[in-house]
Amino acid sequence: MIQIKNLYFKYEDELVLNNINLRLNDSSYTAIIGANGSGKTTLAKHLNALLLPTKGTVIVDEIDTKKDQFNVRKNVGFIFQSPEDQLVHSIVEEDIAFGLENIGIETDAIKNKVRTILRLLNIEYLAKKNVNMISAGQKQLTALAGVLVMEPKYIVFDEPTTTLDNKNKRNIMGIIAKLNKKDKIGIILVTNLLSDIKYAENVVVMGEGKIIFNDKKSKLNKSILKKAGLDV
Amino acid sequence: MFKKLTFGQYTYKNSIIHKLDPRIKIITVVLLSATAFLMNSYYKFAVFSLFIFLLMILSKINFSSLLRNLRPFFFMFLFILLMYIFFSRNELDQGIRTIWKFILFIIIASILTFTTTITNMVSAIEKLLIPLKMIKINPRTIAVLIALTIRFVPSLFLYADRIRDARLARLGNLKTPKQIKLLFLPLIERVFKSASNLSDAMLSRNYTEKRTTYFNIIRLKYYDYISLSLLLMFILFILRVV
Ligand SMILES: Nc1ncnc2c1ncn2[C@@H]1O[C@H](COP(=O)(O)OP(=O)(O)O)[C@@H](O)[C@H]1O
Ligand SMILES: [Mg+2]
Repeated sequence: MIQIKNLYFKYEDELVLNNINLRLNDSSYTAIIGANGSGKTTLAKHLNALLLPTKGTVIVDEIDTKKDQFNVRKNVGFIFQSPEDQLVHSIVEEDIAFGLENIGIETDAIKNKVRTILRLLNIEYLAKKNVNMISAGQKQLTALAGVLVMEPKYIVFDEPTTTLDNKNKRNIMGIIAKLNKKDKIGIILVTNLLSDIKYAENVVVMGEGKIIFNDKKSKLNKSILKKAGLDV
Repeated sequence: MFKKLTFGQYTYKNSIIHKLDPRIKIITVVLLSATAFLMNSYYKFAVFSLFIFLLMILSKINFSSLLRNLRPFFFMFLFILLMYIFFSRNELDQGIRTIWKFILFIIIASILTFTTTITNMVSAIEKLLIPLKMIKINPRTIAVLIALTIRFVPSLFLYADRIRDARLARLGNLKTPKQIKLLFLPLIERVFKSASNLSDAMLSRNYTEKRTTYFNIIRLKYYDYISLSLLLMFILFILRVV
């Protein structure tokens, strides 16, 4: 369970998160939706200790993000908006192995895990490909493989579909839903598109650094979305 | 275009040079280049060139791609040659030797890049730099820097292309300094954005300078030691005996 209590966050003088309280249960699927600049990415980065609260706490499975970044990051994977910018190595399989090398997994185990993930995502054919020669959709899958291989309990996706065409969008949304249903990974999907929240069970709506709605998706209505400045 | 910009010309062949440990290959490139630099007599040149030719054959290197690597230097060679012809014709043979040395350097480097994957190259550099730990420089930091450079230089061209196309569509052409500035500022902005995203991505995957395990393991075999000894013997032979 991820528990956020009275979270405030400032970039220099600008208050970007204003008293956020939120609980994300194991194996849940939560969409965080809000207009550009509403603070979604800033909130998401608190979930795996890339940002630490100015005030308040973020607790991931009993670990305070201020105290132990290493274990928080092992539990919470993060897929960034631009797949282009999150691949470190030039060769796909090597990039997927990057996180495992960081946490000290032995070579044989790394090789096995990488192979398993490639198979799971149906991208074995990409293993030896150069990252600079593959499509945006394939880059996104490579980034996802690099996170999945760490066997995280939760994965945060920050606007994962913005650089993708419709076909790849559907593909990645399907994969995310399956990771939640089948593999019981807790999903936090950050987006500004209503079309992206199709599979989510809970929805958090953000506006100007505050949570203005947090409930089951079925309770969501147009006036709330309008209030958040989203197109309905 | 990406084919041209993507580093690494590695092509898989079943050759003994391909099988050599990448560390041995890097050391060999350094030693052979130094030897080429020190040579002076035509006789030594001939024996040395023959040796390099032998390495080319052993590595099953593709001659046309080798020529492609040499092509960009053609005008430089021509320039050197012309300079000698016009200004010091009596030392022309020295000019020819200079050019020949250059060609040898390029061939030696090409043999390395044609027979070694990027992955192995970076691993080898990381291993060869381990002594730097003594002066508190972490070899992994350098290896990751190299890996990132190889990874992101093509992206840089990609961004530049995208920005240029967007600008061209709006401005028509890019000739005046002001328009060039309009091209570079967004490029620099994009690069900083990328760097910041990338550092977040690396941290979120628990990047640290210290690591204990490797995806790619390179191990020295008997065969590598034998090759290195043969190489040293050859270099001694060239520099002392011939
Ligand atoms: N690195 C930063 N430094 C200063 N201000 C920032 C930084 N990142 C975001 N902001 C500001 O914080 C606010 C929320 O940004 P962000 O969390 O990225 O929103 P969203 O992801 O919902 O578009 C914006 O006003 C933005 O300008
Ligand atoms: Mg954002």
